[in-house]
Formats: sequence, C-alpha cells, structure tokens
Amino acid sequence: MIFEVYNRELCVGNIIITGVASSSMVFVGDTETIQLASAFDTPAESLIIGPFVPLQSGVE
Amino acid sequence: MLQRTSCVDNIRIKQVTFASTLQIGDSRIINQFSRAIALQREAELFFGSEVNFSSYRAFTSPIPFEPIYEPVAIIRHNIPPLIKVGNIDIKGVSSSSSLHIGNSGHIHSEARVKHIRQLLPYGHEQDIIELNKLR
Repeated sequence: MIFEVYNRELCVGNIIITGVASSSMVFVGDTETIQLASAFDTPAESLIIGPFVPLQSGVE
Repeated sequence: MLQRTSCVDNIRIKQVTFASTLQIGDSRIINQFSRAIALQREAELFFGSEVNFSSYRAFTSPIPFEPIYEPVAIIRHNIPPLIKVGNIDIKGVSSSSSLHIGNSGHIHSEARVKHIRQLLPYGHEQDIIELNKLR
C-alpha cells in the first residue's frame, strides 16, 4: 500500500489545557509511532472501612 | 522524511511531575514509566513503606502492546514545512505524560495507579481526635 499525504498549512492560535496525566501526551510535530498505556484501579474492595492498620504488616 | 519544523511562540506550564517530560526539539526514542499507590485515609496517618507494588494486579498484569509492523509506504509532501502554534497554556503534566515540541521517532509510555481509600468505621469518626492526641 502506498499512502500519499499532502500536509498544507497548519497554524494553531491558542492551546489551553488543565492537565495532561496518566501516560498522555501533547505533541506539536511529526512522529513515527506512539504507544501509550495506563492502568488505573479503584475497585469496591479498595474502600476499606475499619481501624487504621498498615495495608500489609511486615513489609519493610 | 520528517522535515517539518514546529514553531511555538509561548509556552506557559506550571508543573511537570512523576516521570513526565517537556521536550523542546527533536527526539528519537522516548520511554516513560511511572507507578503510584494513592492511599487516602480519613485521618492523616501513614506508616511509611507499608505496601509492595507486586501485591496488586494493577502493577503486575501485562499490557498487551501490538508489535510495531507497518508495511505501508508513506509519501509526505510538506508544502509549507512548518507547524505554527501561538500559545500553549498547561497547568500540569503528570504520571508518564509529555509535552513535545518537535519531531520524534518512537514514543512508549506506561502509567499504573492503584487508588485505595481507608475510612473509620461508622460511629468511630471521633477517633481522629484521639489519634491526633497521640501524635
């Protein structure tokens, strides 16, 4: 397959972003490959109601 | 061939934290990795290093990345070889994220976060006062 691209004028005025987080990116330019991955875990059992003890006893 | 020039007049950025990058200029390879255990307790009580990353699946389970294989011939015509941006205003860049001005080759980034909340039992909310007395 041959993929032919004509990049004509590219002009941006303002970019306003609050946050770029957890393996994200803002890119001004050209690149060949991008691989971004993010794992976020907060399941129901991560809400612990009980006395404050260390999560794992004996971990140094 | 990658030959466009990126031109940014102003960059305003407040924070770049936790394995993040602010790259001005071309790069070839970017590899970023960050992991965090976000432990939130009803009272300010922390025991230091009390947990291992390996105890949680969020840090151990593999992320299936596809192998990079692109059998495509790309012909680019960059008629004005310029990408023009006036202003960039970002409050924060965090956890394996990046702001890149310029060309790059391969970018690989990974972030893993485990969020845990720990609350006092019902009827024991006043124990925070007792805890504060102990400290």
